[in-house]
Amino acid sequence: MALGKNKWHDRYPELGTGPIPVEPYVSPEYFEQERDRIFRKTWLNIGRVEQIPQPGDYFVKDLTVCNTSILVVRGKDGEVRAFHNMCSHRGNQLVWDTKGRCQTFSCKFHGWTYALDGSLRHITDEHNFFGLKKETLGMTPLAVDTWEGFIFINVDPDPQQALSEYLGKGLRTSITGYPFEDLSTNCFSWHTDVQANWKVAKDAFQEVYHISTLHRRIIGDVYASKANPYANALDFTLYPPHGRVSLSANPGRKLTGVESIVQGFGSTVLQQNNSASEELPAGVNPTGYPHWSFDGLALFPNCLIYVSKGTYLTHIFWPITENLTRWEIRTYSPQAETLSGRFSQEYGKVSFRDTLLEDASTLERTQTMLRSGAKKEIVLQDEELLIRQHYKVTESFLNA
Amino acid sequence: MSKRQLPEGFQDLEPYLEWSLATDRERSIKRQTSPMTKITAFYQAVVPRMDEILAYLEQYPLEQVPADAQRLFYLTLSLAKIAPAVEMYGEPVPEGLDTLRLENIDIYPTRS
Ligand code: FES
Ligand SMILES: [Fe+2]
Repeated sequence: MALGKNKWHDRYPELGTGPIPVEPYVSPEYFEQERDRIFRKTWLNIGRVEQIPQPGDYFVKDLTVCNTSILVVRGKDGEVRAFHNMCSHRGNQLVWDTKGRCQTFSCKFHGWTYALDGSLRHITDEHNFFGLKKETLGMTPLAVDTWEGFIFINVDPDPQQALSEYLGKGLRTSITGYPFEDLSTNCFSWHTDVQANWKVAKDAFQEVYHISTLHRRIIGDVYASKANPYANALDFTLYPPHGRVSLSANPGRKLTGVESIVQGFGSTVLQQNNSASEELPAGVNPTGYPHWSFDGLALFPNCLIYVSKGTYLTHIFWPITENLTRWEIRTYSPQAETLSGRFSQEYGKVSFRDTLLEDASTLERTQTMLRSGAKKEIVLQDEELLIRQHYKVTESFLNA
Repeated sequence: MSKRQLPEGFQDLEPYLEWSLATDRERSIKRQTSPMTKITAFYQAVVPRMDEILAYLEQYPLEQVPADAQRLFYLTLSLAKIAPAVEMYGEPVPEGLDTLRLENIDIYPTRS
């Protein structure tokens, strides 16, 4: 592996080398601009098609950052549709639970009823209204599309780009053939609200510079090796506004006692894969490194997808205020067929979760100090390229 | 003498039944609130038996696990839960976010 100095900057000199300002992490005004010009304008990943396999299946996603709640439903025709979760009468939230299956949606306030395609079907005491046109009073739809089974919505009533265009051909092709569908039968998820700006949270998961320090005990030797002591990336490729990193594993790592028990039942631990990717599509592990670990896709603005062999995971960071973020973590793997397989998956979850707890330990502390105003800038090294890219992309959205 | 709780052949693990916990949350709390001496004793009792335990559990289809085998299975989940405490940290939990703040949510499939 080429361990050059400043090699990513040489590849992407337009991102510069300077510090980046603290203001985007703490300013309420900046946050409002992000809301209006990014979250209300771009495609946002809100889940997977497996959440709603059958006609009538639905889930609700609160999108505080866009000041709305969204109802995603599979219609009788099999189509996935998304609506603002709002009744056309006086605006009550239509669906109150987070997921379910039904034939129609009925408002709990005065009983107006909607079909799965969003059209208004029933108005209680209809003849007392004044010349209503039912066909104009359906739920308000949102732009919705899917990519590799991920459901994206766009709250812009007139999106500037189709989803496929927004993701871009380069990024899409780079992952084509990855078995998202096969690996998505079993979803395990956590969430938490952290008192930190959403970018403080996202930044912590789009660099691995911290692993040899923060995670030295749980995964210190998983990526870092004698030859690559700071787990420098194999590759960064940018597909603006998105980016992608590829990581190697430490081929010399010894398994612990329980890890070696787990190993016999199918590893479901992303960070311990330590395996070549010969069965995966050519775009995965782009450098063809024999001890590849995972590739991370950073989808602008708020979604990270880490793909590995046999499992993948996502982080989604939902801004609530400039100082508060809902952080959602989902891991995906095939359904375990046996209790031993479940034990193995459980170990993967625990080990990953411990790593997440360590990651999370810095978020609120960082936010507290960024808010102090003591420093106006933070500095980044070459391996923190995706953080730098995020800042530059944000600036271009805000100044567009 | 109370009724046996674990399958035949695994009675020697009955002193560790306090680790047979059904939910992730209970197991997280147990790990967080137990001293390392207790965690290590449980680890040392179960690890050498794991080959036997997993072989035993393999015989049951996931939906038809008898109560005693289920208790044994929960012991293995607790082993998964505390293994990093013994093998990586040398203390119950890492210095990190309070473990209970990372809340488990069901997206799909629905679990009990
Ligand atoms: S607000 Fe829904 S029926 Fe009145
Ligand atoms: Fe981390």
